[in-house]
Amino acid sequence: MTDVTQFDSIIDRYERSEESLLAILQDFQREFHYVPEEGIRRLSEVMEVPESKIYAMGTFYKALSLTPRGRHTIKVCTGTACHLKGAPQILETLERELEVKRNGTTTDGEFTLECVNCVGACAMAPLTVIDEEYHGQTRSSKIMDIVKKRAES
Amino acid sequence: MEKISVKIDGRTFEAAKDQCILEVAHENGIYIPSLCYNSEVASSGGSCRVCLVEAHQGGRMRLVTSCNYPVRKGLEVKTDTPLVHRIRRGVLELLMARVPDSEAIREMAAAEGPTDVRFRLDEGEYDRYKCIACALCTNVCADVVGVFAIGMVNRGADKKPDTPYGKPSDVCIGCGACAYACPTGAITMKEKDGVRRIWGRDFDMVTCSVCGTPYIPQAQVDWIVRTTGKDRSFFDKCPDHR
Repeated sequence: MTDVTQFDSIIDRYERSEESLLAILQDFQREFHYVPEEGIRRLSEVMEVPESKIYAMGTFYKALSLTPRGRHTIKVCTGTACHLKGAPQILETLERELEVKRNGTTTDGEFTLECVNCVGACAMAPLTVIDEEYHGQTRSSKIMDIVKKRAES
Repeated sequence: MEKISVKIDGRTFEAAKDQCILEVAHENGIYIPSLCYNSEVASSGGSCRVCLVEAHQGGRMRLVTSCNYPVRKGLEVKTDTPLVHRIRRGVLELLMARVPDSEAIREMAAAEGPTDVRFRLDEGEYDRYKCIACALCTNVCADVVGVFAIGMVNRGADKKPDTPYGKPSDVCIGCGACAYACPTGAITMKEKDGVRRIWGRDFDMVTCSVCGTPYIPQAQVDWIVRTTGKDRSFFDKCPDHR
């Protein structure tokens, strides 16, 4: 993880300007599923921007994570409609079956389980979003099948 | 510099254009309480909301933060109206609820009359930390000192000043400007046996060759020598014995 060339190949795609920072951090996030500490340090060196500034950005944006996340992200909607339609049961099933707490990542690095507050599709409640795929009317008895299918893809 | 006249609490004063209301008021002996503003720090102000005043201009009135509102021709400011006091009490009440241990805020609130705090933090949120997240410390570090050792991390209620990853910073020079500037005394800086501890890092202090007082961190001397080219021997003696 300390090989700086993998960071440089991303950084080199952008202009040497403070405006590029967020785009680069997003690319780090996509590539490594989180923003590594070494990445922030390297970015600070190359761009000549203080590390504290880049770290502050990393903590500010929800789209960036400073701790490793899974290959797949499962978002369980726990908004009002989904809550009433059984989101808590879905969440419990996932926590039990994947052996992970909410907002945590499985030990094999496959899944990150998150709760979100309404994704704006209440008619499809209860809703689970796996990566970019929306699964409406999910039932706790079926959720693991969907997750397993996704893991194989 | 262009001079304009501005009216504050019924009296007319001369002021430089673009000077902020707060400074004009203070120069003329009118007190407006404030926490996050420091006239030496260009980027400070506008976050604690304690210095709100009434700004009347063109027949309209707005509540503005006097620390970053520039005076303009025809501006009339009122700092002592029932509305200003009511809003100020509200702001101080919220600040007191947030940082109950801050003496500075309690004193300021007491001066505004009895302030009953109607809000309580939940058990877990109360950590005896006096920070109001005004960012004066990080602004001092960046704009005055120029080392950018600390920044405002997280967002919303969790926002606070910190070093990257909360680890001892290798760019920090231990100057303590952040602790000095902090309006609520939230930053701990301790000194013992010629070692200063701040932001989780220990700094060896340089001792004055005359009085033997440890008075400046070695890292700060290195920084000054590196950035200004000042002769290192200058720091052998403390300011009292130079």
